[in-house]
Amino acid sequence: MKLLAEIRSGGTHEIGALAAKLGTTPALVSAMLELLSSRGYLQPYQSCVSGCEGCGLKGDCKTSGEADGMRLWQVSA
Amino acid sequence: MGKSTLFNLLTGLNQHVGNWSGKTVERREGYFELNGRTTCLVDLPGTYSLTANSPEEVIAREFILREKPSMVIAMISAANLERSLYLVAELAALNVPLVVALNMIDVAAQEGIQVNVDALAQALGLPVIPMTASKAIGVRELLAVVEKSLDRQIFSNAQKPEVRSDHREVLSELERLIASHVPQPYPVDWVALKLLEGDAEMLRVMETNLPKPVWDAVYAVTCAHDDAFLAVASGRYEWIGQIIRSAVAHPKVGQVGLTDRIDRWAAHPVWGLVILALILGLVFWLTFTVGSPLQELMDTYLIAPLAGLAGQALSSAPVWVQGMIVDGLIGGVGSVLTFLPILVIFFAAFALIEDVGYMARAAYVMDNLMHHMGLHGKSFLPLFLGFGCNVPAIMGTRVIDSWPARLLTILIAPLVPCTARMAVVAFIAPVFFGASAVWVSWGLILLSMFALVSSGVLLNRIIFKGQRSAFIMEMPLYHIPNFRTVGLLVWQRSLAFVKKAGTAILGMALLVWVLSYLPNGDLNSSLLATFGQSIEPIGRLMGFDWRLTVALITSFPAKENAIATLGVLFGNSPDAGLADALAATFSTPSALSFLVVTMLFIPCMATVAVTKQETNSWRWALLSVLLLLGLSFLAGAVVYHLAVLLGM
Repeated sequence: MKLLAEIRSGGTHEIGALAAKLGTTPALVSAMLELLSSRGYLQPYQSCVSGCEGCGLKGDCKTSGEADGMRLWQVSA
Repeated sequence: MGKSTLFNLLTGLNQHVGNWSGKTVERREGYFELNGRTTCLVDLPGTYSLTANSPEEVIAREFILREKPSMVIAMISAANLERSLYLVAELAALNVPLVVALNMIDVAAQEGIQVNVDALAQALGLPVIPMTASKAIGVRELLAVVEKSLDRQIFSNAQKPEVRSDHREVLSELERLIASHVPQPYPVDWVALKLLEGDAEMLRVMETNLPKPVWDAVYAVTCAHDDAFLAVASGRYEWIGQIIRSAVAHPKVGQVGLTDRIDRWAAHPVWGLVILALILGLVFWLTFTVGSPLQELMDTYLIAPLAGLAGQALSSAPVWVQGMIVDGLIGGVGSVLTFLPILVIFFAAFALIEDVGYMARAAYVMDNLMHHMGLHGKSFLPLFLGFGCNVPAIMGTRVIDSWPARLLTILIAPLVPCTARMAVVAFIAPVFFGASAVWVSWGLILLSMFALVSSGVLLNRIIFKGQRSAFIMEMPLYHIPNFRTVGLLVWQRSLAFVKKAGTAILGMALLVWVLSYLPNGDLNSSLLATFGQSIEPIGRLMGFDWRLTVALITSFPAKENAIATLGVLFGNSPDAGLADALAATFSTPSALSFLVVTMLFIPCMATVAVTKQETNSWRWALLSVLLLLGLSFLAGAVVYHLAVLLGM
């Protein structure tokens, strides 16, 4: 899959830029990422899963990777 | 997707809800009349694919294959067609009579997505009915097509995706191997495809049905092509891409177009950084222009008179009670509470930036820059996402697989400028730098980032050895901010600050006051002064007297304590607030050095605790403290002497 090769070349990729490189739509790239994620090639980034209990800002800090409508994936090891 | 809505519309009360045999997944079945014909409708579990990744996917495909329904209605979303068509690609491979119900056509239209239904039907080789199930629009048309299909007045000729060309021969080989051994009801070509995909359930079924030598051959082929899933998925996405190109027009104007246009600048590697710097500058300008005068007003007209009133009211009380209330409580906590207008503006500005969707762009352009500078993305991106508080920044390092790399990233994480440090800067910078406070604050953030990046680049060279990390970001569309959301964020963060002022800061302010009072009520011969004077020689290197040195040390439980301590030490008079007292006491080089040291100083207690928790060792937490202590003192001393040399 060209997408995976592009991602594995390293760096931080933005979905719109990936779509432009692959000559497709951002929605299609999102769908591919979901599939790659479901098959374990990628994993959604979540860092603050267990350590934020008791923090007054846990509801609105950015580390869930989904706050602000932003989603983040990383390549599985 | 509207599947249940359509099911309820058609079956009404005439439905039965249970569970699929042996599963906890809900099964819904109902009946409706189709031109006098009683028709059974089964609501299959919602899924986006038919590979055995979940019980829902297995249930859906097993039902279709075993029960052989007269018709399958694929309910897909016009607003998310790219994702939905993957399911249609899988259904088409099952060779079942298929009708596509293209739901949410209204939502798609609102988002500017124009679907050419005729072109879509032609590309798919299937009947496609546009619908809005929530408004019962298109249901009649769907039933008419279903009826015609059942009566064989319409024949579908589903266009199926092909496997990527480099794996077609492998697929043929698998088909040839299993052709005479595939059990009912599975189609041979479908089973071969699933084996190529590495479908665990079909591998299990075929292992029990194939003769041993054939299974060994099949197994060898699948092992030799264990990445064939990508070839199958590639073929499907190629097919989806072609269909989308032929049948869907994505918006060129409106929200998406606006986002694209803004991102040409905001996410640009160079202009994006310029815009980020301008936005940060604007936030500081706003904070100092609006917040600082309000802070001064609070200090002059609220805290100072309150201290005066308390002093009068307590005139008959013991001196130590007066001192504790006036200097400890009002001087300490009161000074910190005057931050509130500054912080409210600061929080509001950042909440607004977050809510319009800009923060993701800031992370993206910063990460791009760091990447070019050789900083490993896994070291930087999680840290930037923790911007505002060092605790989540340290937790963000969990993304790093290598322990040495993670450990070193934890050690540099406290260099991320946190809100509490920025609050101290927001208080002190205008006192000493007036209109230039914006530039000083901006420079302090740059200094923190420089320290972070320098450490990170070193880390990348030594530990990551130049490996390249990979992240994928999906950025939100820009949108008009929801002022309720922004207000709520500001309220939550302000409340958290006030709670902190009433607990950790209050406790430290009272402790500082007690130490400044004992043993004989004289500040200059107090325990605090004795302690401060004993460490003053270190502070002198950075231009601090013992009071600034003590203020710095007391910022360990919470950064804002630095101001609370200065509030206690300088007391409050009705004539002048803390800001005036500080401006009259300390030189500009000392103030600048204090700000630099504050930005780089040891992290707060919570951060040290989380460092211990994440490294599972006090040794590393202590090392983190010592490293930052050394770095901050060095930077402070350099800045102080440079400022003196420059005659500031």
